[in-house]
Amino acid sequence: MNLSSRGILKATFTLALATVILIPASTSAQSSSAASKDQWIHVRVESKDNGGDTVRVNVPIELAEKVLPTINKDKLHNGKVHIDSAHMEDVDLRALLDAIRTSKDGEFVTVQSKENDVRVAKSGGYLIIHVTDKNQDIVSENMASSSHSKAKAHHESKVEVKVPMKVVDALLSAGKDELDVVAALRALSSFGDTELVSVKDSENTVRIWIDSKNISD
Amino acid sequence: MLFLAKAALGLSATLAMSTAYVFHEGVIKVDVDEYRGDGKHVHLWVPATAINLGMHFVPDHHLQKASMQVQPYLPALRELTKELKKYPNVQLVDVKDSNEHVQIALVDGKIQIDVVAPDETIHVRVPVETLEDVTDRLEATAPSI
Repeated sequence: MNLSSRGILKATFTLALATVILIPASTSAQSSSAASKDQWIHVRVESKDNGGDTVRVNVPIELAEKVLPTINKDKLHNGKVHIDSAHMEDVDLRALLDAIRTSKDGEFVTVQSKENDVRVAKSGGYLIIHVTDKNQDIVSENMASSSHSKAKAHHESKVEVKVPMKVVDALLSAGKDELDVVAALRALSSFGDTELVSVKDSENTVRIWIDSKNISD
Repeated sequence: MLFLAKAALGLSATLAMSTAYVFHEGVIKVDVDEYRGDGKHVHLWVPATAINLGMHFVPDHHLQKASMQVQPYLPALRELTKELKKYPNVQLVDVKDSNEHVQIALVDGKIQIDVVAPDETIHVRVPVETLEDVTDRLEATAPSI
């Protein structure tokens, strides 16, 4: 073997070694950067009672999209939830959502009372539901005195739901009596950072939102 | 003398290669501590490769029994392991109350489950790749319906 062929062999060996070492690194870097672009769904529940219970869930939407269709249990089949109309207290959820979907932007329900404020609207491609419960709980009642004195605690709870209409469309894209959760997740992943559900009361805080971060704030 | 040196070099190289092979899939770590009178204390460090190799020596009827029990969950497990490999280190679930703390995380390609309760502490780390291999093996031995 002369010197030039040894040189070629050495160069080939070095190149092969570099390829073996570098390719997996670049591939993993690509996959992690691709994954970091994915949307994540976050659920956070914080309770003030019992020493502060917390639940934090962070799931990539793509993972949920892939795994959900493989779970066939109870009313969940192939990523679709079967709605039993008999158990919806005579409310045709599908017809209701369909009516909202096909109507123009505007306020559908506005209720303002001493106990509750309710607002259901469609605006900028979003279905918005706001409920404020201004319930005043009676926490103690003094029956000993001649006049009943009642101590009242002001507990206000707020529920805010904001769902993109495209997600509602996707949810209704399955057959009758079915909600397509996987299609809804797919539609959801195309949106940017969105706060979907927020519930706040004196004891609990619930937040469901999507963003591109893999950690809850 | 030269022969001995060559033999030692060969032996060291073989040892290094086999160690690298045994640990190339990572290590499964299980720590269980029960704080009762007769509580169990289990501390295991097993090379993930040992699980894959070990499954080839498990009698088929035992594997079939196991795969029948987990058959409904195998498709979900398969998708989950396939997908989890794509993601960076992340805390998937974190549940904490006044007594217990449960965490499920993905750390360096391993599923990490930590349970801290007053009566027991459990820490499990399993490489996702091993879970995938076990799922494959169970699916292969599952009786067709």
